[in-house]
Amino acid sequence: MSRVWAVAKNSFVSAMRMKTAIVFMLLLIILLPIMSLTTTGDGTIKGRIQSFISYGLGLTGLLLSILTIVVACHTLSTDIKHKRIYSVITKPIRRFEFVLGKVLGVVILDFLLLVVFSSVIYALVLQMPKFAKANAEDIQQLKNEFFTARASLKMSVDTDMLKARVEDAYKNMKAAGELDQNKSKEAVMNELMASAKYSMFSAEPGGMVLWEFNNVKPFDANDILYVRLKFNASQIPPDNLLYGVWYVGDYRQVQSGEQAKTPIYAVPRKDVAKTVREFQVPADAVAADGYLAIVFVNEPANNSTIIFSEEDGLEVLYKAGSFSANYLRAVLVIFSRLVFFAILGVSLTTWLGFPVAILCCFVVFFSGVINGFITNSFEYIAAYLQILYKFTIKPFILLLPKFDENYNINNYIIDAKLINNGFLAMALISLAIKSFILLIAGFIIFAKREIARVIV
Amino acid sequence: MTAANENNVIEAVSLTKIFSDWWGRSRVVAVDNLNLKVTNNQVFGLLGPNGSGKTTVLKMLLGLLHPTKGKAFVLGGDSKDPRISSQVGFLPEESYLYPYLNARETLDFYGRLFGLNSRVRKARIDVLLDMVGLSGMASRPIGTFSKGMARRIGLAQALINDPKLLILDEPTSGLDPIGTRQIKDLIVELARRGKTILLSSHLLADAEEVCDRVCILYGGLVQKEGRIEELLEQKEKSQITTTCLSERTIEQIRRIVEKDGGDFEIRPPMQKLESYFIDIVNKAQKEKKYTSGAVNQYDATDAQRAAAMSDVLDKLVSAKVETEKLEKVDNAAVVETEKVGTNQNVLNQLTQGPEIKMPEPVEPVNKTEEINVQQDIKKNILDELTKSEENRNE
Repeated sequence: MSRVWAVAKNSFVSAMRMKTAIVFMLLLIILLPIMSLTTTGDGTIKGRIQSFISYGLGLTGLLLSILTIVVACHTLSTDIKHKRIYSVITKPIRRFEFVLGKVLGVVILDFLLLVVFSSVIYALVLQMPKFAKANAEDIQQLKNEFFTARASLKMSVDTDMLKARVEDAYKNMKAAGELDQNKSKEAVMNELMASAKYSMFSAEPGGMVLWEFNNVKPFDANDILYVRLKFNASQIPPDNLLYGVWYVGDYRQVQSGEQAKTPIYAVPRKDVAKTVREFQVPADAVAADGYLAIVFVNEPANNSTIIFSEEDGLEVLYKAGSFSANYLRAVLVIFSRLVFFAILGVSLTTWLGFPVAILCCFVVFFSGVINGFITNSFEYIAAYLQILYKFTIKPFILLLPKFDENYNINNYIIDAKLINNGFLAMALISLAIKSFILLIAGFIIFAKREIARVIV
Repeated sequence: MTAANENNVIEAVSLTKIFSDWWGRSRVVAVDNLNLKVTNNQVFGLLGPNGSGKTTVLKMLLGLLHPTKGKAFVLGGDSKDPRISSQVGFLPEESYLYPYLNARETLDFYGRLFGLNSRVRKARIDVLLDMVGLSGMASRPIGTFSKGMARRIGLAQALINDPKLLILDEPTSGLDPIGTRQIKDLIVELARRGKTILLSSHLLADAEEVCDRVCILYGGLVQKEGRIEELLEQKEKSQITTTCLSERTIEQIRRIVEKDGGDFEIRPPMQKLESYFIDIVNKAQKEKKYTSGAVNQYDATDAQRAAAMSDVLDKLVSAKVETEKLEKVDNAAVVETEKVGTNQNVLNQLTQGPEIKMPEPVEPVNKTEEINVQQDIKKNILDELTKSEENRNE
């Protein structure tokens, strides 16, 4: 182990004296405080802090990833290229110890830099309300909506039920002879499914939409529920405002007509379309068995159909942890990515030169950033290519790390969403498995290869 | 699998290396069926012109290249085995060092790879820096060193583990004549201490001076191998060296030789350029002329030089002994002690092998004295030398 440390220390010193790390550090040290002063967001103090943390964490993650890739690809490949490895590998050190030492050196560098910069961002974020001279109301809002960690719930659509309903509708249409002969069964079914979903999540003037949640996890009943909503409208009025009443509580009580055990809250609101809005309801609206329903009733005066999207139309949030713990988890996820890139870089250079290895690393990095886009775009290829895709490119893409969509860790912090244990464990384990495979491959290749170049 | 004969420190059995291009075409036979045996305590020279496969052989011995055919044994096993490689010192054909580390950090790094503890590392690094004449530049980055100075650090790193077997690839290339002289002295002294040395070179004069046995390679094939005296002896000639003779005596000798039917030639013997050069530099050093390069503690006569080198090596190995002694102090009462005449002998014995019992110091006073010597390592080696002689006289 002392040998691994010796190599680690050496590659760490190399990275520091290469000045690459220094340049990145200076860049961040200068940019972060400037950003904390110049970001404006949507004008509110919350918006400012959100956009600062978004850029700050995003920039730190990006720059440290690039630094990791450069240093990891450089450290082993130059040792081989400049033959420094001759007098190292002939010492009593196992080859895997050497590779491990190289990885460890980069990881130590990452760890130190990440600790420094995440602390700087954390400190700046905590100080920003003071600098901005926020009033008590703003601070309370920040406390509830930013400096917290909220669990989020989305309604999962019961697809089996929906399918059965669509099947029925299809059979009825067939019986009535209303089927379009030019369309296949599949196309008709898809259309029916889309319209069924549409009708589930849209309300005509005077109509309603119902969301139901089970397993709202037990928490302090004195707390607050946050309902986050976003909708579109068929006709947008001149003042842009659409009216509606929200009912939050145990809907089953209304259906069965029994004595209400838990309160049902009615919240009349006027909201702007296509914008994320949030309102609060006391948490005692949740039934004892964890059931919660939210009903939206479209005001007839709107004279417009209001449409919610299935994915991000409505979310229920509640406090489930502290901001600091959540921030620490986000930093941990970023760190695990840096470790992955350190291993990727070093493993690739056990058999590739610096330019090729760094290219591969950047391909992996950027495809991780747009992983969702890639997978989505392949969904639309022709059916006969679909099989080919399924067995070749798809498994390969699945092997690549994901940093976007749900895995974009910055969004959790910006929206004060709890990074729950399951998600954290999944993210860490999947990266750990991928890293482990890469590391073992690197060990094997490096143990087998000829270190010296062919010179006659 | 081990080599048949334990006495063989290096054994290569029909070692072959064929290089091919990416497609497996245009093959080059770099080493062809090489059989080589280097026995214990031998200085073995691999000689040959550029591209004759010397370095390829060394790389195969060290596991940096895989032989296409055949097998190489180093110290009876595979050189990749840490148990074997911990007893091998290797100086590559050029000193490939980390340019951003300074001399001390470099040696410390290599010392760590051998798992030496910090105390041993520090003591050995001091001695080695002193030996290669770079103690004044210990904190300068290697990147700013000249080729010869980097070479000296390369040599120091090869010695940091007090190796049983030293593999030197072109040891004298890039060195000034004094550095070359020192390396040769070092090789001779190490051989005297029972080490085995394998070196490759195309500088024949250097090889001739230090090697017991040489192997001449050409085109990857062994052309000739044998003891250097056997190879170079000119059996049909005799050589007489005397003090300056008078005209009359020369005429008399000529007559005798001609009567015997032999050829006769007479001229004053030439001093070697090497020793002439060393004299000049030595004079300049004594006058304390400024230099930013390496400074050698140079001693005039062969005997003094050998003694100085011996002293350095003593100090080098004593670093190990020192710490082991100190670690054993606690159970000193239980361990049987063995009286040894002089420290010199103890140290010499210790370098022979690990099986020798670790003797306890005779008097505690001596021990502290030794430690002082270790800590005060930067003193002139000549001073050290005279001091140790005084000790011996006591």
